[in-house]
Amino acid sequence: MPNGDSPLLVRSAPAGRTDEAPAARAPGRPLGERLAPFVLIAPALLIILIFRLWPLLLGVNFSFTGDGEQNGAQVGLGNYAELFDDPVFRIALRNVGLLVLLLPIAVAIPGLLATFIFLKVPGNRFFRSVYFFPAVLSPVIIGAIFNLLLSVDGPLNAVLGFVGLDPVDWLGDSSVAIFSVVGVHIWATFGMGLVVFLSGFATLDPTLLDAARVDGASTPQVIRHVIVPGLSRTIQFVFVTTMIGMLTSMFGLLFVMTGGGPGGSTYLPEFYIWIQQGQMNRPALASAASTVLFLVMLVVGLAQIAILRRGLKEE
Amino acid sequence: MRGSRLGKWVIAVGMAALAIATIYPMLFTVNVAMKTQREYILDRFSLSSGLRWENISTAWESGGMARYFVNSLIVVTGAVVLLLLIGSMAGFALSHLRFRGSRALFLGCLAALFVPFQVIMVPLARTMADTGLIDTYPGLILAYVAQFLPFTIYLMTSYYSRIPSEIVDAARIDGNSPYGVYRRIMLPMGRPALLSVGVLNALFCWNDVLIALLMTPSPERRTLMVGVTSLRGQYTSDIPLFASGVLIAAVPVLVIYLFLQRQIADGVTAGSMKG
Repeated sequence: MPNGDSPLLVRSAPAGRTDEAPAARAPGRPLGERLAPFVLIAPALLIILIFRLWPLLLGVNFSFTGDGEQNGAQVGLGNYAELFDDPVFRIALRNVGLLVLLLPIAVAIPGLLATFIFLKVPGNRFFRSVYFFPAVLSPVIIGAIFNLLLSVDGPLNAVLGFVGLDPVDWLGDSSVAIFSVVGVHIWATFGMGLVVFLSGFATLDPTLLDAARVDGASTPQVIRHVIVPGLSRTIQFVFVTTMIGMLTSMFGLLFVMTGGGPGGSTYLPEFYIWIQQGQMNRPALASAASTVLFLVMLVVGLAQIAILRRGLKEE
Repeated sequence: MRGSRLGKWVIAVGMAALAIATIYPMLFTVNVAMKTQREYILDRFSLSSGLRWENISTAWESGGMARYFVNSLIVVTGAVVLLLLIGSMAGFALSHLRFRGSRALFLGCLAALFVPFQVIMVPLARTMADTGLIDTYPGLILAYVAQFLPFTIYLMTSYYSRIPSEIVDAARIDGNSPYGVYRRIMLPMGRPALLSVGVLNALFCWNDVLIALLMTPSPERRTLMVGVTSLRGQYTSDIPLFASGVLIAAVPVLVIYLFLQRQIADGVTAGSMKG
């Protein structure tokens, strides 16, 4: 659409870039062009509004209504009361607490490995490629593979037997199973944190590192005083994304490896939501669990950012 | 860092052990997939006596994997094409066509990033059922687009922001409409980002199981990953066939990884740069 007054418009555009460009409001241009930003953004906006943000409100609202015979009726906090009375949901929340406790480990592993790769350990390029691979595999595939590896007569117990230890029922013992699943999750996803850390390292100022070395700093000292402060943003990002990953992408593993069992010991909120919605036909109760999960994520995310901010400033 | 040469080698040995621990589960599965059932029962660790592709073809045909594979291809292709199209249009508008409220829209997009699927899945399933989209390819495609669009828009917007506005201005002087700029400048120049985001979205959709379970319950529309979850029940006693099914589902990802590892890593890390 060639347009007579566009040179004038173009000249004014850079000046207007600070906030809102006059482009959208400039008179004398075809309506189609003036509407261009809105036309281009409309499909995205509609999809996000209808299928992401609207369901969020709908779900919160839904969580205050009843299931089954009480369908649609307002029940106040009834679903929430039932939720916190349900021992299985309490296990799910306890397991969230466990994930929060294990989080520093899940962040430290890729952090340390990335540091070694950055410090040019022999074979670093190879290690990077290998470590990252499980992170792109589906949790369902990982879970299926580990069903074989962790079976009572599987390879891991064979290794234990080789060094003289008794076999462990990795997925069938209710005090062990959650650790097995979380362990597999960390094994499968530390590659994600690793590449994020490595991209953070790429932004570090090399002269600082050289200076530290010239001053005779040991590797742990370099890590503590140069690398950690320099990577504060990256560390923060990995903390938050790892936590989100633990709370929202373990469904596939749980579904394939334990099905929430044994005795409900490996439930996480996301699995609980799925069971209530898909198997028990309790959508309103599931919505209440969704709302709780959302609040948990919000609180954990904000708390992390606050704690990390303070911790890194003191450094 | 004194004494670091020895230290480096000690660390390298530890990292090599970890690398073996990372690869071994995959190799074990490949080996099992190549065994006969009898071989597996007698000794599951020994090297398979030969390459038995018939396990793979049996799982492919009798296990219904062929059908699931095609379903996954249809859905992933549809979702990725739509994501790239809609995401790049929005990214262009948000980065170069500033308008009243564009900043707020971008922030809204970021906020949507933090709404996980688990939180909206119940009402979303209901909406899909009400609109007749449940258990259809378009319904599942739409669910994927909705899920991964905020991330796509975020990456495309930050990528396009790095394209100097002079290039856009020059194209406008040459008589291009905003739509022309999008088609002739933004799409071609955005190719590296589109490739990165496209591969990553393809992996997300291909690997998903929760959304697919919820949106397409009937076996005819089942995706490959949902198919994998039922393998264990299908082949309770024939573990080599089970492993073959798992292998079929993993190979496409392995191929993509071997060729596009760089792009995948770029997509994963792009989000961390701006914080």
